Amino acid sequence: MLRLPVLSATAATFPVGLRAAPPRGWGLRLGLVSRASDAAKGLLYTAGGLGLLGLIWLLASLAAGRDLPNPLATLEVFGRLVANPLYDNGPNDKGVGLQLWSSIGRVFAGFALASLLAIPLGFLMGANGFSRRLLSPVVQIMRPVSPLAWFPIGLAVFKSAPTATIFVIFMTALWPTLINTAFGVMSLPEDHRNVARVFRFSRFKYVTRVLLPFSLPHVLTGLRLSMGVAWMVIVAGEMLAGGIGIGFFVWDSWNQLSLERVLSAILLIGLVGLLLDRAFEWFGRRFAYGT
Amino acid sequence: MEPYLEIQRATKSFPTRHGPYVAVKDVSLDVARGEIVSLIGHSGCGKSTILNMVAGLERPSDGGLWLGGREIEGPGPDRGVVFQNYSLLPWLTVWDSIFEAVDSAVVGLSKADKRDRTERFLHMVGLWDHRFKRPAQISGGMKQRVAVARAFSVHPEVLLLDEPFGALDALTRASLQDELVNLWTLDNSTETVLLVTHDMDEAILLSDRIAVMTRGPAATIGEVIDVPLARPRDRQSILTDSTYREVRERLWYLLTVVYATADVTREAV
Repeated sequence: MLRLPVLSATAATFPVGLRAAPPRGWGLRLGLVSRASDAAKGLLYTAGGLGLLGLIWLLASLAAGRDLPNPLATLEVFGRLVANPLYDNGPNDKGVGLQLWSSIGRVFAGFALASLLAIPLGFLMGANGFSRRLLSPVVQIMRPVSPLAWFPIGLAVFKSAPTATIFVIFMTALWPTLINTAFGVMSLPEDHRNVARVFRFSRFKYVTRVLLPFSLPHVLTGLRLSMGVAWMVIVAGEMLAGGIGIGFFVWDSWNQLSLERVLSAILLIGLVGLLLDRAFEWFGRRFAYGT
Repeated sequence: MEPYLEIQRATKSFPTRHGPYVAVKDVSLDVARGEIVSLIGHSGCGKSTILNMVAGLERPSDGGLWLGGREIEGPGPDRGVVFQNYSLLPWLTVWDSIFEAVDSAVVGLSKADKRDRTERFLHMVGLWDHRFKRPAQISGGMKQRVAVARAFSVHPEVLLLDEPFGALDALTRASLQDELVNLWTLDNSTETVLLVTHDMDEAILLSDRIAVMTRGPAATIGEVIDVPLARPRDRQSILTDSTYREVRERLWYLLTVVYATADVTREAV
């Protein structure tokens, strides 16, 4: 007796097209409601987490005595710092806003220069096997090096601590962008390439309609990672460089024996880092495509 | 019969770590202009490999393929492909998917004419209202309509379909099969169609001839069955046609007994 799993004959005999429209109004309204309650929940969780952190901090400061400032004393200093962020009393006494702004400027300078090199190089490595095999050992050796190790080289070459800091950020922001871009270009599915071949896409059309749109999200992910690491490294870089910047501010506050200011700076660094990350995330979502 | 597409002793092997893997071996098939021929066989028997060789996406390791007397050496505007998994570019809207194909593959047409043609095909497959949507926003059936319209819109001499409706539910599959035949008829049935499928009823409903593949590896075409059913074919009434039954029985016998794979044999016994 022959027995086969599926017989499509019975089902395939109804020549009916399916063209039902989904009830859009409902989906939209439900979406809005659930999004509002999601936001409220998110705020609640954030407040809860921060509250927990504050509590642990309070207990830790009680245990440590005068060595660790408590949250309230820190918040008071934080308030004063934020209330007047832009004052400038000479090279060793500037508002925290100016310090942050200077750091952001350096980060973006190094980041922009790194991106200018990393994106084209990533495309080259992704698309061309020869350059990939040639460059990938270099990348693999350079990538694990702490970018701060480049600081002396930067000093020697540029004879300027601020420029050396930008150079350090440049070395930091190079690798994630480069690696993600190369990976993105490399992972272009055979199917997409075949579409371009079958329909005889010109070289230009292949690049603009297939290669770039496919790899853009990968590039943006690389840029976002690069920015994240750059923002972490700038603090350490400016501790070495001195002069101005949020990293210098942290070190200067330590020298003034004001841990309240150090902790306030940590809070500010975290907030700015979060904002930067969100900005890049938003940017990435704009160029994302569903599959 | 004057052959238009000629496949002569085409063999394709892929290098693997354990030596070459011969997917298909000594495949020979002649297809006349305007004919619809199905390739049917068990999954993994190399049907898609043959189709890809005709498309020019893969070169045969041995033997050759000719189209209109010229050897196939790569993809060309004379062949349109509907890929197995739609293969729409996810960032292109329905409109752009078709327009970019027309724009690239059709030469000697003004931009306005290309836009007109895109519009015409979108209307034909009922996607005009969805033209600004991207693949992620439309159903599987609509994606397949885009893929079919895209392949037809470049007016290819040969249409290559790789299990085009395999991933769809039965109702959508039926309506798309009808649309395919409609599009083919609208073009005065001049297009040569090569269809890869594992659905016997689909093969019988659509084809003039059905090439049955032996089991892989080193699969080849075992037998070619004629489907002498008059067109237009009605999917309901052919079910009671004695020719339909004969063809179906022969196909069934070939696929479940003669070229059965190990697991089908087990199930059949």
